Amino acid sequence: MRISGSYSLPLPQERAYQLLQDPEVLAKAMPGCERLEKIAENEYRMKMKIVLASLAGNFDSKVKIADQTPPSSFRLLVEGSGRPGFLRGDGLLKLTPTGNGTEVSYEGDVQVGGTIAAVGQRLLDGTAKMLIRKFFESLSQTATAASA
Amino acid sequence: MATTITKVETLVGKRIRRREDPRLITGTATYVEDIQMPGMHYAAVVRSPHAAAKIRSINTQAASEAPGVVAVFTGKDTEKVGPVPCGASLPGLRVPHHHILATQRVYFVGHPVAVVVARDRYLAQDAADLVEVDYDILPAVTEPERALAQGAPAVHPEWPDNTAFNYHQDGGDVDKAFAEAEVVVKQRIISQRLIPTAMETRGVVAEWRAADRQLNIYTSTQIPHLVRTLVAGMLALEENRVRVITPEVGGGFGSKLNVYAEEALMGFVAQQINKPVKWIESRRENFLCTIHGRGHVDYYELAAKRDGAILGIKLKIIQDLGAYHQLLTPAIPTLSVLMMPGIYNTPNVRADIVGVFTNCVPTDAYRGAGRPEATHGIERMVDILADELNLDPAEIRLKNFVPQEKFPYQTATGLTYDSGDYAAPLKKALDIVGYHKLRQEQADLRKQGKWLGVGISTYGEICAIGPSPATPAGGWESATVKIEPSGKVTVMTGACPHGQGEETTFAQIVADELGVSIDDVLVIRGDTAIVQYGIGTFGSRGTAIGGTALYFALQDLKAKIRKFAALFLDSEDVTFSGGEVISNASGKSKSLRELAAASYRAMKLPPNTEPGLVATRFWEPPNFTFPFGAHIVVTEIDGQTGEVKIRRYVAVDDCGNIINPLIVDGQVHGGIAQGLGQALWEQAVYDENGQLLTGELMDYAVPKAHRMPWIESDHTTTPSPVNPLGVKGVGEAGTIGCSPAVVNSVVDALSPLGVRHIDMPLTPEKVWNVMAGRRS
Amino acid sequence: MIPQKFDYAVPKNLDDALQLLASGAKPLAGGMSLIPMMKLRLAAPERLVDLARLKELNYIRESGNELHIGATTTHYDVESSALLLRKCPLLPETAAAIGDLQVRNMGTIGGSVAHADPAADYPAALQALEAKFVLKSGKAERTVAARDFFVDAFTTALGPDEIVREVVVPAEDAATGAFYAKVEHPASGFAVVGIAVRARRNAGRIGFVRIGVTGVANCSYLAAAAEAALEGKLGSDADIEAAAALVAGGVDANSDLYASADYRRHLAAVYAARAIAGALSRCA
Repeated sequence: MRISGSYSLPLPQERAYQLLQDPEVLAKAMPGCERLEKIAENEYRMKMKIVLASLAGNFDSKVKIADQTPPSSFRLLVEGSGRPGFLRGDGLLKLTPTGNGTEVSYEGDVQVGGTIAAVGQRLLDGTAKMLIRKFFESLSQTATAASA
Repeated sequence: MATTITKVETLVGKRIRRREDPRLITGTATYVEDIQMPGMHYAAVVRSPHAAAKIRSINTQAASEAPGVVAVFTGKDTEKVGPVPCGASLPGLRVPHHHILATQRVYFVGHPVAVVVARDRYLAQDAADLVEVDYDILPAVTEPERALAQGAPAVHPEWPDNTAFNYHQDGGDVDKAFAEAEVVVKQRIISQRLIPTAMETRGVVAEWRAADRQLNIYTSTQIPHLVRTLVAGMLALEENRVRVITPEVGGGFGSKLNVYAEEALMGFVAQQINKPVKWIESRRENFLCTIHGRGHVDYYELAAKRDGAILGIKLKIIQDLGAYHQLLTPAIPTLSVLMMPGIYNTPNVRADIVGVFTNCVPTDAYRGAGRPEATHGIERMVDILADELNLDPAEIRLKNFVPQEKFPYQTATGLTYDSGDYAAPLKKALDIVGYHKLRQEQADLRKQGKWLGVGISTYGEICAIGPSPATPAGGWESATVKIEPSGKVTVMTGACPHGQGEETTFAQIVADELGVSIDDVLVIRGDTAIVQYGIGTFGSRGTAIGGTALYFALQDLKAKIRKFAALFLDSEDVTFSGGEVISNASGKSKSLRELAAASYRAMKLPPNTEPGLVATRFWEPPNFTFPFGAHIVVTEIDGQTGEVKIRRYVAVDDCGNIINPLIVDGQVHGGIAQGLGQALWEQAVYDENGQLLTGELMDYAVPKAHRMPWIESDHTTTPSPVNPLGVKGVGEAGTIGCSPAVVNSVVDALSPLGVRHIDMPLTPEKVWNVMAGRRS
Repeated sequence: MIPQKFDYAVPKNLDDALQLLASGAKPLAGGMSLIPMMKLRLAAPERLVDLARLKELNYIRESGNELHIGATTTHYDVESSALLLRKCPLLPETAAAIGDLQVRNMGTIGGSVAHADPAADYPAALQALEAKFVLKSGKAERTVAARDFFVDAFTTALGPDEIVREVVVPAEDAATGAFYAKVEHPASGFAVVGIAVRARRNAGRIGFVRIGVTGVANCSYLAAAAEAALEGKLGSDADIEAAAALVAGGVDANSDLYASADYRRHLAAVYAARAIAGALSRCA
């Protein structure tokens, strides 16, 4: 499933770039995540908990940051597997300075498998968008607090 | 002195309510899930979530220690069990070894990897969730044309070209035909992968009695005896100590014409734990692991003269086989080749099939099994040709039909069509639908910017499968008829009806032949300990072959009864009627009950006659039978949304003689429903990683009652000379005739836009995009 | 599939139910959404409290110029209510379009609303009706307007121990015309798009119109731009088409196997036109 969109962060471009790769900040933004455990350069392990209506799933997950071109773009790869199924996301994030901050645009691919893939194709697109929106909202809050 | 005997009204040919129905609609029938046994345990199967992967390790410790669990088995434990069998053979066929539980690799999402056995189904599922499988994920390929392309991942590493077989067949001189052609039309046509979706999913109960070396298997199947033979072989058990019982079956449609891993697996488990074990397939498992239907990408070429005479046909079939061969997987597209010329008088054909492995569940027989694909193809091509030549689609068909005088007709593909009058159903359907008025209305509506379509399909189909040399396991059928001392009649049929109604139609045949009340006739099937060896029910063969075996067994019985009549009355020349056996010479009679009792009591026996009244026949059919018909579908396309509405559906089907018109109506309606499903709503969709996206009934759109059009059903009757009943078979004909009529109708509606072809399913967005693309 | 083990409690009354919820139990109403998720093991609540048993929450009453519908009122009750058919026919028309007969016999308005499925039918009608939801916890009660209640996919303004107690809609006369037009997904029956329109004329022109949209985006919404384009107009075919084109403009439409985002937006415009025309034809 292709996903794309953009989100504004109230931070200058370089600061935004830095924070988006900060494991502490990323951990707080990922749903239900406590902290990231570094397993290699730019690669982290974590536990994600996704709650959606009555659904709650724990996912053993990995996050990898690649193709870094500071301060304008990098790739974020997320992989998670749990009882409800597994998901894999591969997105290119581009940061562009705007008047009062940075616009982060993302474009990528999300693959879902297992039971969650079966429950209703109509939910996947909307759910992915919602989770990504929550991620950026949470990121924005955390990043703004960290910058204060 | 000859006496006129007034015969009681016959039942064959009458609309009689089914004997099966009272128990079905009051919920008192017994399905596999209803089977309860003392000490019965439950199995939950662990399945691969990946379409292609190496199994690095399986950790079953947590599962084994979970509450209520008595055993956990993996592929290591079941390695020695024989592979899931493929009964079809083709020259050069590559057959992957199909373990009942995956050993080193998994090949499709849903591939069984382990089985957990516990004392209740909840604990079994809880423990199944605790089995940890470490997978090394590999790239997968799910589309057959992509699987054939350079650089595609190899589904089976030993065959990197992903080709299971190549098949070629020529008839006549197709090169000459194409050289002489005045016009050639070409089209790529898809018959998409479908999920059979029987209302009852699969299920197995297995019980091992060690002291007797006896394995009892209850399974929802179409072929109990074949399952017995094959599963006994897989488990290295004595065949006569394996009993397969088929309780009520909630639909099969070909998806239960098979031998599945779970049938042997439950037998294995039962032997290991020494307790009965039950496995019931969830809907999701059914979608992932029960065979799918169709899966064709077909390339057609039709050569013709400008006057519409078809000279030759070329067909290349790219068949999506899936990851393994189930029982008949590679044979299904060969049935398409056999029917590729349809009912047209075309002696020149060329067919090629490429059987392709993909990381998906195997395809196999599904209502029509190869013939809907072939009919869809040829009927679309005839319409495309008609469009190209600006000829009326009804006229071009009438011109090309095999004429009456050519029957029995030798086709270019090596078949002999038994009997046919192809113009009759078409003319009747055209009349019923009011064809010429419709064309006029269509022209008027077009001026108003409205889209009305009239689609015709004239189909012929091959069924009553079939003569044994042409089938993998034999194609005959058996019947035993017993008249008990009380005069009641019991029939044991080797067929295995699972909705087709033979419990009623066979009773009608017996009632007429023996002159007994239909209520005195019991038809039994589906228990290998009770019923003599039989082949089963599929390929629209139940009545044509099973009914004929029954017919001949009845003749044997009648011959014997006549001997008793000669002894107790005065003549062998008798009439069977009203429960009596009546001498045609004197009018004297004895009840059938009295003669039956006498045959068992044996105080007085006719010369050279054994006691009792039991007859068994195994009937080998000399040919298939070939039903045919015409479907005409009138559609209206919503110009704003692309939604297709069926305004009228006319079906005129010829299945030869009809035993019970009520049951035939049901078969036609059900067949058309599944044809509409293919044409408008259904498709099994895998993503490029092999995840089945249409994984539940939330996304896979099986036809709903409120979406069905009213079906105007009529018949012509051209008896088959192949069997004494004159019956052809009708179970699959509705599906076969349906989809091309629907697509032809929609393409016809959109022809002002220059639309020539649309692939199924005709979803609103697809039709809308075609319209929008053309109108811009 | 087979659900995981869970405890099941039948509350004695509403207060009892709220206490059970505060102690960690999850609410069960009609179960038409929750139970399939539990069978697939995507939801595994340890304890359920069966709100559908609360007869005290099953009612449809008129009070002043408002209609009060208790949360456990089934879709079937709404569909067949003589009072609603007379004073708020949009709701029965929408309820009749939900799922199938079995779902309508079991599903409840409170449950549907709290679940906030992006493709549920009720939210379109409730947005168009500018409905209010009475939310209750063990400690307090508050009222939230529909436009504030539906936040995102499966996300509402409900707090962790709040339930929907009641839905309040205006009681209207024949001067108000309403219409619900839906594209039904052929498998699930959910709204691929669902448009609810409520309108009144004023001296021959459109005096008031509300257009509630479901199925298109992650959340139901009022198509404000389309509403503004209709107010004061005569309601000709051209007026309607121009307004309908604005219904999904700029909306981040969902995409799935059955309908792409583009096609969904297109369907929204087509069905909005049909719903607007239908509602206007029903204005007295």
